Amino acid sequence: MSYGVSFPSSLACSLWPMDLFRKKPEHPVLAGSRQYFADFNQDLPLEEYDFVVLDTELTGLNAKLDEIVSIGAVKIRGLRIDLEDNFYSDVCPCQEVPKFSTLIHRISPGRAKKSPPIAEILPSFLEYLGNSLIIGHNIGLDMAFLNRDLRNNLGGILYNPCLDTLRLARIYREEQWINYYERYNLAVSYNLKDLSEEYGLPVFPEHNALNDAMQAAYLFLFLVHKLRHGNIRTLKDLYMAGRSWRWMF
Amino acid sequence: MFTRKENVHALDTAVVTSFLQKTLPFNELDQHTLENLARHATIDFFPKGAKIFIQDVTEVKHIYLIQKGGVKLYLQDESGQTTLKDYRGEGAVFGALAIIRNARSSLTVEAIEDTFCFLFTKKAFLELLNSHPGFSQYYLKTFSENYIKKSFSELRKEKLTPKTEGALYLFTVKVNDIIRKKPEIITPVETIKNAAKRMTDLGIGSLLIKNEYGKIGGIITDKDLRSKVVARGLPYHSPVEMIMTSPVETISANKVCFDALLTMMSKQIHHLAVEYEGRGIGVITSHDILVLQGESPVYLFKEIMNQHSIEQLYELSMRVPLVVRPLIEEGAKANNITRMITVLNDLILDRILTLMQEELGPPPVPFCWLVMGSEGRKEQTFRTDQDNALIYQDPRDEEEREAARVYFRMFGQEAINHLVKCGYPPCQGGNMASNPKWNQPLSVWKKYFEHWISVPEPEEVLNSTIFFDFRPAYGQMGLGYKLRDHLNSLVRGKDMFLRYLAQDCFRTKPPLSFFKNFIVDRDGEHKNRLDLKARGLVPFWDFARVMALRHGIDETNTLGRLELLKEGGHMPHDLYSKARESYEFQMQLRFLNQLKLMEAGETPHNYINPAELSDLEKQTLKGAFSVITNLQAFLKETFKLNLA
Repeated sequence: MSYGVSFPSSLACSLWPMDLFRKKPEHPVLAGSRQYFADFNQDLPLEEYDFVVLDTELTGLNAKLDEIVSIGAVKIRGLRIDLEDNFYSDVCPCQEVPKFSTLIHRISPGRAKKSPPIAEILPSFLEYLGNSLIIGHNIGLDMAFLNRDLRNNLGGILYNPCLDTLRLARIYREEQWINYYERYNLAVSYNLKDLSEEYGLPVFPEHNALNDAMQAAYLFLFLVHKLRHGNIRTLKDLYMAGRSWRWMF
Repeated sequence: MFTRKENVHALDTAVVTSFLQKTLPFNELDQHTLENLARHATIDFFPKGAKIFIQDVTEVKHIYLIQKGGVKLYLQDESGQTTLKDYRGEGAVFGALAIIRNARSSLTVEAIEDTFCFLFTKKAFLELLNSHPGFSQYYLKTFSENYIKKSFSELRKEKLTPKTEGALYLFTVKVNDIIRKKPEIITPVETIKNAAKRMTDLGIGSLLIKNEYGKIGGIITDKDLRSKVVARGLPYHSPVEMIMTSPVETISANKVCFDALLTMMSKQIHHLAVEYEGRGIGVITSHDILVLQGESPVYLFKEIMNQHSIEQLYELSMRVPLVVRPLIEEGAKANNITRMITVLNDLILDRILTLMQEELGPPPVPFCWLVMGSEGRKEQTFRTDQDNALIYQDPRDEEEREAARVYFRMFGQEAINHLVKCGYPPCQGGNMASNPKWNQPLSVWKKYFEHWISVPEPEEVLNSTIFFDFRPAYGQMGLGYKLRDHLNSLVRGKDMFLRYLAQDCFRTKPPLSFFKNFIVDRDGEHKNRLDLKARGLVPFWDFARVMALRHGIDETNTLGRLELLKEGGHMPHDLYSKARESYEFQMQLRFLNQLKLMEAGETPHNYINPAELSDLEKQTLKGAFSVITNLQAFLKETFKLNLA
């Protein structure tokens, strides 16, 4: 996610009152993953989980009014980024793509219009996601938009546990602070690109949902090996490493 | 139905393909192949210190292309001794050899930085090798020529062969190295008599004959003159083409001597014309090769020692590089080699000066030949400029003074002439015993040093540094030692002078790092050549010199000075060991570079092109530069220069 500024969006095409009367049945994949994660083993080595690192580009930051204009995701299997298995789609928002947001993610209103609407994309995204764990940078924001759209269109939300690279980075920095005196440096940034540069990761052009997902995937691989001096083996370890963060959903 | 596959590749694989397009040998593959490869890639991360492969254990399933970071490759033998083999940086590949050989990893690979790698499956890689001959050639070439041969034969040599002299040289010395001089070439219509005269004049046993196209068409040897001319009563004015052997058996200059010997034995001949890129560059004989068998330093040493003609010494001195080369191949360090060269050079000097005294008669007063600069520090490489001086005992009266002046002037001049003929170029700055200024009695020399030390003008200090590295090399050594003692007593407590000298050590700032094929300076400037002497070695010499003077250490050799400084508690142990390692490495690098240039027929110099350095060498040099910074910081501290 890559917005610094919020701005009002006047057009919203979905008719909220209608939704209130028409309760949708929960999509089978959503129901399945709810079941799956109700009884979920956190003690396996991290290599045995599948992760999906995802990023969305938005028309703005307001979860009531704004919309998703693209979704990008890459898969991590066996703790390796799998380039063969990724997901990208532009999304046609119900509203015009505001010029200000086009300037950021370079998706023009014309290009957005040619793309399928979110309702058509969500099922294939769910199929892609399956029972993977979700990773993202400041993932809460992406999840807010996705779950809103899922609830509206597929009658349910995601139960997949989420990991936030921003929070992991914060924990990592706190670990570092124990040893270094820069703890007094208040000018630290948790921006995805700034973090990547700080850690010396390969850096991709920003504000493309897939590139940003890829960037977050690199960041995740880095952090998962670096946190707790490289002693994280299981999902539980990762959870314990950051007592300050918790399962979000 | 929306299918994600079709939307996908254009975007995601660009991460990999754009990287591959910059990377050898992938950049030779077409776009479609690259995309296909990229689509099957995975990305893995290894934190610094992680072992990616473990020697003889890891089953290699992928080849690893380093996207960011770096790794080191090393071998471990049964005794637990590790041998560093290489550093690999961004764009470099590891794991390919194991896949090609279908074996477990023969090396341990460890991340030395946080490292991201693209992983390509074994299957995808093998398919590429099969379908793209150029691609596979790159790997076969790198591995067969550079890698397998280098690492394994090196290992074999280290482990299997004891340091026997002689026999091994046949397999290591190239034909190119034993050519003594340029070939003598004549035309086919030259008379036999002229040819024989020429051979006699030049003291050689064969002549090459070129045909009408300018190519080498034939050869005549001593044996031809005997068996085809004298024995058959052929007139001496017949053209040489009547007796020449044609065509000439040739051998490529890159072949090892063993091949040459084999060719001669199988064809029952004694001469081979040596060819390099289609040109005849010399002739070698079976004798040259047999001499090689005895071409050990000890053998050369004995030959020099028993030499009674100065002229013969000229040629013997040319053989110094020849005996040194196999030592390098057997893993000798530059420090050992420069000491070996020093011993041989000192001996040549000894013989020349001794034989000269036999000719000129004994000197009126005892004298001592001083060597300075790199010779003084026992760090001579090949053909370093002469830096020497002559010091003689103070004459008792005016008559003796005049006799000494005349004798030593002449003696100095003569000696320099002989040394030049031995291949030691004269010093451009005139710092030689032939210069009257540097050919003086002890009392005058003492005054020189008193002057340099008491009135330290920066310019004066700069010009005199090489004199502080003097070492007595011949004659009455006591004169040299007296001068050294005098110098030490002068320097004691002369803080001003030492501080000037220390200040001088900051003239050069070491380079910062390497980036691709450039050397990067602290100010960000990029250069594609590095003056290894000025940037890398001089700071060590300067450091060792000023510290040795400060602590009254007589030793002149840089490593020797450093060791004494450490033992005397004048520098920290870890700084010493770092300094020693980086200094030795740079000496070695310079040495090999000069050897390479000499073997290519060029004049040795001190410039290095970073493009020709391996990742391993770059990495080590980078470390050496940072040691210079440490040394300079230490000087600053010691001499309180920041308070000036």
